[in-house]
Amino acid sequence: MTRAAWGLLAACLVTASLASQVRHEDILAAPGEDWLTFMGDYSANRHSPLREINTSNVASLVAKWVYHVPGATALSSYPIVHDGVMYVTNSNEVHALEAATGRPVWVYLHPGVEMQRTNRGAAILGERIYFVTSDCQLVALNRITGAAIFSRRYADPEDGYFCSVAPVAIKDRLIVGVSGGDSGIRGFLAAHSAESGEQLWKLWTIPGEGEFGADTWGPKTLPWGGAGTWMPGSYDPDLNWIFWPTGNPWPDLYGGDRPGDNLYSDSLLAVDLETGEMQWHFQFTPHDVWDWDGQEPPLLLELEIDGRKRKVIVQANRNGFYYVLDRLTGEFIRGNAFVDKLTWASGLDADGRPIKIPGMEPSPDGKLVCPTMWGAANWMADSYNPDTGLHYVMTMEACDIYTSSAKEPVPMVGFAGTGAERQPRLDGQFVIRAFDPATGRRVWEYPLTGPTASWAGTLSTAGGILFSGDDDKHLIALDARTGKYLWHFNVGQTVNASPITWARSGKQYVTIVTQTDVFTFGLFAPTQSPGAPEGLRRR
Amino acid sequence: MRAILPLVLAAAVSAAEPPAPDMSGENGTPPLYIGNPKAIQAGEESYQFVCSACHGVTGEGGRGPNLVAAAGVKKASDQELFAVIKDGIPGSDMPPSPLEEERVWQLAAYVRSLSAPAIRQNVPGDREAGRLLFYGEAGCTRCHMVRGEGGYLGPDLTNLGVTLNLARIREGLLDPNKRFAKGFDPVTVTLADGTRIEGVAKNYSNYALQILDGAGRLHFLANDETAAIEFLDNSWMPADYSSRLSGDEIQDILAFLSRLSLSSDATRSAGEPQ
Repeated sequence: MTRAAWGLLAACLVTASLASQVRHEDILAAPGEDWLTFMGDYSANRHSPLREINTSNVASLVAKWVYHVPGATALSSYPIVHDGVMYVTNSNEVHALEAATGRPVWVYLHPGVEMQRTNRGAAILGERIYFVTSDCQLVALNRITGAAIFSRRYADPEDGYFCSVAPVAIKDRLIVGVSGGDSGIRGFLAAHSAESGEQLWKLWTIPGEGEFGADTWGPKTLPWGGAGTWMPGSYDPDLNWIFWPTGNPWPDLYGGDRPGDNLYSDSLLAVDLETGEMQWHFQFTPHDVWDWDGQEPPLLLELEIDGRKRKVIVQANRNGFYYVLDRLTGEFIRGNAFVDKLTWASGLDADGRPIKIPGMEPSPDGKLVCPTMWGAANWMADSYNPDTGLHYVMTMEACDIYTSSAKEPVPMVGFAGTGAERQPRLDGQFVIRAFDPATGRRVWEYPLTGPTASWAGTLSTAGGILFSGDDDKHLIALDARTGKYLWHFNVGQTVNASPITWARSGKQYVTIVTQTDVFTFGLFAPTQSPGAPEGLRRR
Repeated sequence: MRAILPLVLAAAVSAAEPPAPDMSGENGTPPLYIGNPKAIQAGEESYQFVCSACHGVTGEGGRGPNLVAAAGVKKASDQELFAVIKDGIPGSDMPPSPLEEERVWQLAAYVRSLSAPAIRQNVPGDREAGRLLFYGEAGCTRCHMVRGEGGYLGPDLTNLGVTLNLARIREGLLDPNKRFAKGFDPVTVTLADGTRIEGVAKNYSNYALQILDGAGRLHFLANDETAAIEFLDNSWMPADYSSRLSGDEIQDILAFLSRLSLSSDATRSAGEPQ
């Protein structure tokens, strides 16, 4: 062995990498140059302080690179960026790319998983990357090499679960949730040790027999009530609580076997980070029969309401109503319909409970109801710009014919004969809208063309830009104050994720994941000298 | 003539076939072939007579495809594999097999075992002795990680037993310069300012280099920062394990490596509960 090789081996013995670790405080302070968590920050505001790209120069934004994820057909990953490396997930795999060039540094394929479901992203903490497999293993990887450190199964597919959630790293733990609520599961939320993967607590989102809320179900459905937890929540460091949304009750479109409100489906749960104890819950759609998961982003804001500054949570819910809740108590402060097409309820009462219009339940012959099962909003990212004071939401104006059935629901299989579909030639439309969250007032809107078949959401920047995927295979940039068009790029594929922004060496970039590829954009700059170093071309 | 040769070989061989081992299942249940060590052994014997002329004595190809690496072989169901061996591939050099059905199943079992991950193969050796060598005298963790512990310059071995077959693991241990794992080309890079970086190329192009050094630092280099790159002939992995270790020690390390898996489920499937 050469002397150089021995020297190299000695260097290998350095156990603590000199590379920068990601601390809880870094995620708390994000986003900046890095994008360290699914939503960019714990408040789910998705507002970046970067301003190199702004309203005066965004028209010269150009594509910098495209990375194709081999075999991908339906990516919906929000990337993480740290220290010049971007981490993108697909089902059961993570791709680490040099962020500035899009060249892969490593790819991790988790062995032995046959189930392939969508994956929404990774988490980063310390020297590790975390993600979940489709069959519900929480996996930890070395962020430099992609070396596997542990995998910990936290839900069993035999019980109807699958997993797609982007874990949320907070302090010393990862918060993870489960999917599968559309075919019957008992939903839960769990915290796992970032160090060992050990489960620290587990909170059921469907009560056990005899527990509070169990009487809001029937005996047939209580064990399979759903209330999945597949969408990352937000976190208030002062309260040390997380705010996590829950999914629909099961069977989705038939309520006959589940009389009552069906707690804690379609709800927002305030949960103590340390203990996993529920502090309060707010249910958006009691006894839901339209599949309106409560999985829209819960934004943490401070708003002046009736002359008083209040810490609140706002959510534009899939059911078509905009909610402002007190962060400490879960008390309903105000709400209003945020779409025009809303036919199932006439409004919200003083407690925020919908005032349902009779006869709007799905029927065997089909019942036309607005909004659609897709929802007036959905898991697509919202964003909030503190400079404009506006909350940006991808909304949908459309209606579905909801069909019920008298057949027997089968847990973990489904419920034959039920469904929801558009009327022919009435696909509806996505509309990007800016709301004043204190009043719920619509300030501007930007209607989109397309087949109403995208999961694209928004990103706000201090450069005064609202970036978003649209419903017609574009990344677009709008003026955050006015909604005026500024720029677009045709990515040629449906966009099922929301853009992020980050910086490297003082240059700002915007990245969006499409169905099969990762696209990154930056301001136009002349190409540098392309000469390859000596030795490279002679291989 | 090319297409006929295997047929001729097969016909010539059939008279000299080894006696068929007793493959009947216990209690009258149907015999199992795929994954059955006896069937695999019997299949290998037939293979060396019938198939190796085209597919190579190690199964790694020649005139015919590489059966160890071919994605088509891995993807094929057991029944499909059986059918290809029995019926051949019309229009190609792959002839139908004259062997009786049981022997074709044994061949399928052997071909399947060629690409089976090592954890499913029956690897002799003292696993615990191998573990001690791995973490001790052999010094493997200076460059390789297992479950996040170890060095940076070699591939992660945490899932080795479920991702590589035994032949490839043996080759990696004893002949590390035969091929380099993707992202592990050994390099020395000289920067424009004269600084030298030794490590592995995670990636490289005419426009940018992505280099990982032995201390776990990633160097992202635009080409105007880089004066020269030298791709080394020899891996950072020592090439002398075949002389430094005894035959038994090598077998012990292989027994240890072949069972490495992050998932306790996968380990259990090898008959070793954890």
